[in-house]
Amino acid sequence: MALLNLKDVSVAYGDNVVLKDFNLNIKKGDLVSLLGPSGCGKTTTLRLIGGFIQANKGKFIFNDKDYTKVPVHKREFGFVFQSYALFPHLSVFDNVAFGLKLRKTPKGEIKKRVMEMLDIVGLADYSKRYPKELSGGQRQRVALARALVIKPDLLLLDEPLSNLDAKLRVKMRVGIRKIQKELNITTVYVTHDQEECFSISDKVAVMNEGVIEHLDTPQNIYDNPKTEFVANFVGFENFIDLSLQSKNEDISTYNSKNGRVFKVKSTNINSNKETIKGAIRPEEIKIVNKGGDNKDENTLDGIVGISTFLGKEYQYMVDTEVGKLLVNGNTNKRYKEGEKVKLYLPKEKMVLV
Amino acid sequence: MKNKANYLLLLPGLILLGLFLFVPLFSTIFQTIRGKEGLTLVKYFDFFKDSYYISIYLRTLKLALITTLIAVMLGFPTAYYISRTNKKVRGLYIMLAVFPLLTSSVVRSFSWMVILGRNGIVNTILLNLNIINEPLKLLYNEFAIVVGLVYLFLPLMIMSLVGVMENIDNDLMEAAESLGASRLKAFIKVIFPLSVPGLIVGSVLVFTGSLTAYTTPQLLGGSNAKVLSTLVYQNAMSLFDWDTASVLATIMILTTLIVTTIINKLSGKLSGKR
Ligand SMILES: Nc1ncnc2c1ncn2[C@@H]1O[C@H](COP(=O)(O)OP(=O)(O)OP(=O)(O)O)[C@@H](O)[C@H]1O
Ligand SMILES: [Mg+2]
Repeated sequence: MALLNLKDVSVAYGDNVVLKDFNLNIKKGDLVSLLGPSGCGKTTTLRLIGGFIQANKGKFIFNDKDYTKVPVHKREFGFVFQSYALFPHLSVFDNVAFGLKLRKTPKGEIKKRVMEMLDIVGLADYSKRYPKELSGGQRQRVALARALVIKPDLLLLDEPLSNLDAKLRVKMRVGIRKIQKELNITTVYVTHDQEECFSISDKVAVMNEGVIEHLDTPQNIYDNPKTEFVANFVGFENFIDLSLQSKNEDISTYNSKNGRVFKVKSTNINSNKETIKGAIRPEEIKIVNKGGDNKDENTLDGIVGISTFLGKEYQYMVDTEVGKLLVNGNTNKRYKEGEKVKLYLPKEKMVLV
Repeated sequence: MKNKANYLLLLPGLILLGLFLFVPLFSTIFQTIRGKEGLTLVKYFDFFKDSYYISIYLRTLKLALITTLIAVMLGFPTAYYISRTNKKVRGLYIMLAVFPLLTSSVVRSFSWMVILGRNGIVNTILLNLNIINEPLKLLYNEFAIVVGLVYLFLPLMIMSLVGVMENIDNDLMEAAESLGASRLKAFIKVIFPLSVPGLIVGSVLVFTGSLTAYTTPQLLGGSNAKVLSTLVYQNAMSLFDWDTASVLATIMILTTLIVTTIINKLSGKLSGKR
């Protein structure tokens, strides 16, 4: 059974409805990321779970209890704010001890647990410092330690790494994942960084305009996105209009507008519509050879346009019979503008949305 | 070179202060310790031997302290509320809060006389409602002075507190709540200690203001409730006893300095840091 359960929740700021009939289930011990573009309602969802805002409608069930109206301080959730929100008048030690003191934990135990936690986040030597004497990364770790030391039933993180530089982000996200697994704390993690989110999550919820479009494992979302929005968001840059010819258990057949035949794995079909979009990543399209035979399945003819250098590969804008496509090619050869090419779109790499 | 030029900029201010503040101030103080044979504190001993003076001194202290306390109690929640409103509304509230400062203290005291007087608004209402049978004596006593002083100085307290509180991030309150603090606890443990600097400035302003105020105690306290400043005026202007007036003035200054220092020391304890 799910530990956390948001049922048909709606949230609005005045007339602006941010979440509408929102549903989310999270299993105990999982780290679930909310991923989506700016303004799609990630923070709102997190603050709703944390109890800082109230739903206009719907229920929030946690651990089989109705938490919809439970005040923030009775929820026992750890919250890590994007701004860290460390108490400037308290030392690192007292910041971390804050929650334990409120729980009337004996002094000796507070000392032990706080130092243990500071040890885990690698700040044992900094306990006497004040927040303004710490670097961004250190503050972030204090915020994490402060939320974790109360052994929360649920950990809520709002873009905790967004203020850090690239290297530290990678280090910290590995750290967060490690601690989260060690302590087996169910976690909701908000981010708009795809790589970060895929690397640490058990499940990813891709959000768009207040709705979860796809909730699945990172691998499944990466390989087989369910909607056009999700596909686009995770890097499927090419969309081709297709219509159904014949559907089979294993392989199905579609036609493009100009009569090209495309075979697709049936497990990659995510919509039953007659006309559908075939999505594919630039790096999955193969440039096979110049011009030639158009009768082949899953191929398109095109003329190379602008090309850019991505480091590992070149990226070409190819003008094909069905519109412009982005295609990556290896660095052995750089195709020139105006050159005729043939593109091959492997059937297992195409996703229908 | 450049630095020396910078000091020159201070010169006009220093000359002004020196000539019109420090010289008269020190000559006043010097006056009080000059005896027939060299320096002496005899005038101060005389003051503290006189029970009439002592009682006035204590009353002044008491009224200033009470005024400060009430200003803190009224100012704190008001300031917190104002600091949490959005920018546009906040400007309006602050305008309203400082409004009393825009009129002269004579006018303000007179309006309190209208309100608290024998036939004033309060008494009229209470009489008409048959809550009392004869008018209450609300004017020309300590109560009236405190009311007048609180009204006079509350804006200073609110302004000092809002200045500090509006810089306290709302996230801090939420962080405290998420760690298990009720709203009240979070307020006490986070907002209060972070507001202490504003509280100190506000308290010092209100206390020194109340201790040295003249118009309000003169008009609302009358001759029944004399305070140090009215006593200074009486000695200097009615009795032409400049020596005693100087002693009183010096005691007033010293008291202000001492209490200000104490409040400052206390602030360290309250904010729990340094
Ligand atoms: N306090 C508020 N009052 C009114 N509207 C708000 C408020 N907070 C958020 N919104 C609106 O709600 C929508 C969702 O906001 P939210 O903060 O949840 O986005 P987000 O997904 O966290 O975005 P970001 O990635 O930029 O942080 C936005 O359109 C935003 O303008
Ligand atoms: Mg956000």
